[in-house]
Amino acid sequence: MSNEALLPTSSGAERPKTFREFVSAVFKNVYVLYTISIISFLLLWDAASVLNLLGKFLPRPMEVVYQLYDMFLNPLAGKTLLEHLWFSLRRVLIAFAIAVAIGVPIGLSMGFSKYVHAIVKPVFDLFKPMPPIAWISLAILWFGIGETSKIFIIVIGAIVPCIINSYNGIRLVDPELYDCIRMLGGNKRQEVIEVTFPAAFPAIFAGIQISLSMAWTTVLAAELVGAREGMGFIIITGMNVSKPAMIIGGMVVIALTAWAISVAVTHLERWVCPWKTKLE
Amino acid sequence: MSDKQSTSSKVALKILPYLSILSVLGIWQLLVVTGVVPNTLLATPVQVVKLFFYKIGHADPDGAVLIVHVLVSIGEALTGYLLALLIGIPLGLLMGWFVLAEGLARPIFEMIRPIPPVAWIPLAIFWFGIGLTGKAFIIWASGMVPCVINSFVGVRMTNPVYIRMARTYGASDWEIFTKICVPSALPMVFGGLQVALAASWTALVAAELIAADAGLGFLITMGRRLLMPDMIVLGMVMVGITGVIIGVIIDRVEKRLVAGVRR
Repeated sequence: MSNEALLPTSSGAERPKTFREFVSAVFKNVYVLYTISIISFLLLWDAASVLNLLGKFLPRPMEVVYQLYDMFLNPLAGKTLLEHLWFSLRRVLIAFAIAVAIGVPIGLSMGFSKYVHAIVKPVFDLFKPMPPIAWISLAILWFGIGETSKIFIIVIGAIVPCIINSYNGIRLVDPELYDCIRMLGGNKRQEVIEVTFPAAFPAIFAGIQISLSMAWTTVLAAELVGAREGMGFIIITGMNVSKPAMIIGGMVVIALTAWAISVAVTHLERWVCPWKTKLE
Repeated sequence: MSDKQSTSSKVALKILPYLSILSVLGIWQLLVVTGVVPNTLLATPVQVVKLFFYKIGHADPDGAVLIVHVLVSIGEALTGYLLALLIGIPLGLLMGWFVLAEGLARPIFEMIRPIPPVAWIPLAIFWFGIGLTGKAFIIWASGMVPCVINSFVGVRMTNPVYIRMARTYGASDWEIFTKICVPSALPMVFGGLQVALAASWTALVAAELIAADAGLGFLITMGRRLLMPDMIVLGMVMVGITGVIIGVIIDRVEKRLVAGVRR
């Protein structure tokens, strides 16, 4: 590769004079490289599949598209692709709402009172290192393989970032802000409403964001272990009937959904706490 | 607040954590002993400890002693984790500094990044089987993402003054990269290691739940199949403890390696 200037300091490009300079300018354009990258990725994938590099379990990219189209129109186990997606999303949303409703108040009260912190923190530390997926066997034993056990597991996964971030959000509020409001004669109630909440909100919201993506990961894990519908069910079915195109199709939809969720949450954040950029 | 009050509240704050843990364990034990929760659904802490000591020396009923399960899990986790470090960190560092590396690797990375690691499990089993390779692949996939992102961001956050100064003194791009960008990215990279560890450990347990013949996740699954809640809880506790221990070790290594860079 050419060792020309690369970081922003020297990226101000001059007008190319010779053909060689023109070529090297083209290859330094990020968008050209992006296009090359995506096209060569798809071509390599196709080649790997045609040449059987990974055995017969790597479908060609077009087969995945066909499979997706097929699942979109024809029901699999009684439900079309969108219905499966909806089932997974519904679980995520229910569990996420429960996790936020329980986790944020716990985190907040830990941040406000050191007594609550002294009581809750050790128990929380005891349970935190166990991955939510490790709860799955116990959940199945307790609640059967129905909705309850899945929602239980997702709540366990999603509640951790809610608690941690709400707690840290309250704890890490800039002390100068408190000094200011006290100097201006604010009472305790005003301190909480005018300073603590607005200052802690971006951190709390970040926790909620992490918890939503945790929920999406956990629902897949829960559905892989036992479910009759949902995106996890699609990829595990693809495994059971030896249809790798179905697995990769499912993964594509999962990735798109995860991406859509994160974009939606980022926009929501700008709308709900516009002062965040000012604070950082 | 008077002195007396503050000392008594200090004592209370010291005692409360222990009290809270003890009461959780006590309530748990009581719930099962009094039969509010049937013993078939939940094991008491005492039973779990008993099983722990039993499993140290006995292979039944799941086919291996406890230490074997732990070692199998750690072996799988470390293989995938080290691969993720070896590939992910250099890739992220290069992507942070060289336009060519970023342009070529970024789109593919952005396509793969939103896929939760658990979703790779069926493909990994297809491609590499349920042995070490398949699980190492899943761990690798889940550990890669934080490694790449943190190394990338670490390089991008390099103080531009250093770079300009090096340029003024005639350093080549490669020299700037190795002597300035990489060292200044190290703390960020180590932050990524902890995140990657948590992600890998979760993915490993998921992989072992779905297909395995040994390991801590397998222990949990066997506990469910044999209807032994004490074995499930033992598996969960061991997963938690092992994860914490690995995390502490990485933390120690970090403090040693980064010590010379930051101070």
